[in-house]
Amino acid sequence: MNADERGREWGRGRKACSQTTTLMQKQSKIQHEAKPTDGVNLKSKIDQGLAWVVIVVMAVLVIDVLWQVFTRFVLRDPSSFTEELARYLLIWVGLLGASYAAGQRMHLAVDLLPSKLTGRRKRYLSLVIEGCTLVFAFFALVVGGANLVRVTLLLGQTSAALQVPLGYVYLAVPLSGLLIMFYAAYAMVEQVRALRGASPGASAEAGPSPLSLE
Amino acid sequence: MGVWAYGGVGDLLIRSQTPIPPHNQTSAEKRFHPSNKAQRYMEILDVLVLALSFVMLLAIGVPISYCIGISTVVTMLLSIQTMPAFTTEAQRIATGLDSFALLAIPFFILAGQIMNQGGIARRLIDFAKAVLGVLPGGLAHVNIVASMLFGAISGSAVAAASAVGGVMAPQMEEDGYDRSFGAAVNITAATTGLLIPPSNILIVYSLASGGVSIAALFLAGYLPGLLVGLGLMGVAGVLAVRRKYPVSGRLPLKVTFKKFVDAIPSLFLLVVVMGGIVAGYFTATEAAAVAVFYALILAFIYREIKVSDLPQILLDASATTAVVLLLVGTSVGMSWIMAYVNIPQNVTETLVALTDNKIVILLIINIILLSVGTFMDMTPAVLIFTPIFLPIAVELGIDPTHFGIIMVLNLCIGLCTPPVGSVLFVGVGVAETSITQVIRPLLPLFIAMVVSLLIVTYVPWLSLWLPGVFGY
Repeated sequence: MNADERGREWGRGRKACSQTTTLMQKQSKIQHEAKPTDGVNLKSKIDQGLAWVVIVVMAVLVIDVLWQVFTRFVLRDPSSFTEELARYLLIWVGLLGASYAAGQRMHLAVDLLPSKLTGRRKRYLSLVIEGCTLVFAFFALVVGGANLVRVTLLLGQTSAALQVPLGYVYLAVPLSGLLIMFYAAYAMVEQVRALRGASPGASAEAGPSPLSLE
Repeated sequence: MGVWAYGGVGDLLIRSQTPIPPHNQTSAEKRFHPSNKAQRYMEILDVLVLALSFVMLLAIGVPISYCIGISTVVTMLLSIQTMPAFTTEAQRIATGLDSFALLAIPFFILAGQIMNQGGIARRLIDFAKAVLGVLPGGLAHVNIVASMLFGAISGSAVAAASAVGGVMAPQMEEDGYDRSFGAAVNITAATTGLLIPPSNILIVYSLASGGVSIAALFLAGYLPGLLVGLGLMGVAGVLAVRRKYPVSGRLPLKVTFKKFVDAIPSLFLLVVVMGGIVAGYFTATEAAAVAVFYALILAFIYREIKVSDLPQILLDASATTAVVLLLVGTSVGMSWIMAYVNIPQNVTETLVALTDNKIVILLIINIILLSVGTFMDMTPAVLIFTPIFLPIAVELGIDPTHFGIIMVLNLCIGLCTPPVGSVLFVGVGVAETSITQVIRPLLPLFIAMVVSLLIVTYVPWLSLWLPGVFGY
């Protein structure tokens, strides 16, 4: 393996770097290809759309901050909006990126217990874990986030430089909540389906799929 | 609470909609009624709920950011009404990310990714090899110095472990080094980049501390980072001699010089970034954006990255940082509820009542952080424990800059220990070995790190001299 491949590997998330997960990755890929369902199609569409949004926002962020440096040093007329735009885009790229990472199972967890269990027990445990994710995303991100947006719009707070209503900036919270809920629900459905029909020996985890645009 | 406490809608909601329960008087009021028993019990209950729910969720394998979020919301529900609690959590997450300084993190990670794929990391390693190959245990030293250089530029230990480890592991094995020894050196060396600036975690500390200067922290990190690096080199050298690892032959001066010339553009990146920050031309975030730009240009010149590679690189970097950013958001929520139920103040009072000996209290803090570091990732640990411990440190007359370095070095050790050690996982992964095999060669290197930690803790000069020279 050359340095470039290594580089891509760490980008996939710290967990994905261990050998076992790489194996599981391949396994789950095969499973997905074997029985494509509507859910899989919808997930890969959302994955892709989300990936492109994150890529574009990140690129805009880099250009925005470079523009800030450029206007200050070269044009000697510092831009007034770049810093604010960067802060708000960071909220969006952070939260949408976090939901993308949720779909790719990149979020760090202590997997001592899950790695000790096998078969049906492991599936039940991942149902509990995904359930916790679902509950948090619903109450804190979707309900709390929607209320935050509502109240902020009601109070009419706007940003200083861009004059954007802050409520729209905070829209990233409920949106990412919905996406995280979708991914958690998707994982739960997969587990339930496997509990009903699959052979007990099969890998109980959906496994991180590689970051990919294809 | 500094940056985090900026009055937002959540505060407003709580003030306007929630009747304040008796145990929620402001801390100033509380100070005058320390004998209020019911209130004390309520606070103990809050702490228990927060800690137990967090540990339980963590143990069953819920992702850490959700563990933090859920336990925060549950604790909030004890003293705040339902809807304001949810809204406050959502607001803390959003405002936690609303920070220009935080933006340096995705940029430095992006720059690291580009350097890794763009052949810049490899040139740094080649240079280190040409200079250090002649020492006993040469490749181990190369690994350490390359990690210090690369970790310094990319600001991330995980990036350093995978970039340097990926290149060095096969070479070290070829030269007859034990695979697990190479991995152990790589893992511990990767953390030095977190002290040597620019460093993402020092930016996080600057935010959590409510405004300790990033430039001062960066300057403060140099000598402690060098100390750890030299300590690791010493231990690795002794081990290499004892295990009779080969010494590579001296390269002709011409070749060494050529490697140096090749590495100059990559090394210059460090000068631009640090020089720009220290001289006050750039903020850390702007310097990070410039680093991205510079690395990209170099990678294009080296013809190792194509434009069509960029979306994938951007996605990798964004997703990797988003994991950190969600942790930041939820940790901000948690440190808010901890302040709300007076945890930092109670911890300070308890510790100060226990002893007022500076050396003992620093030792206690270090031991607590070391154990926290073993099961908690660095970013949430810094965000959650800075508001708790920094007030004690300040009360004892410890400089906040110095304390940041102590904290980061301490948590670096946790990054290399199971069960939660992100650098350990990556290092083991790239060297294709296992955690059980790496533990033995890791132990002497750990000792070197702990000794460095003690020195850095009790010799403030190491951290404060350089910032002093530059007038911070």
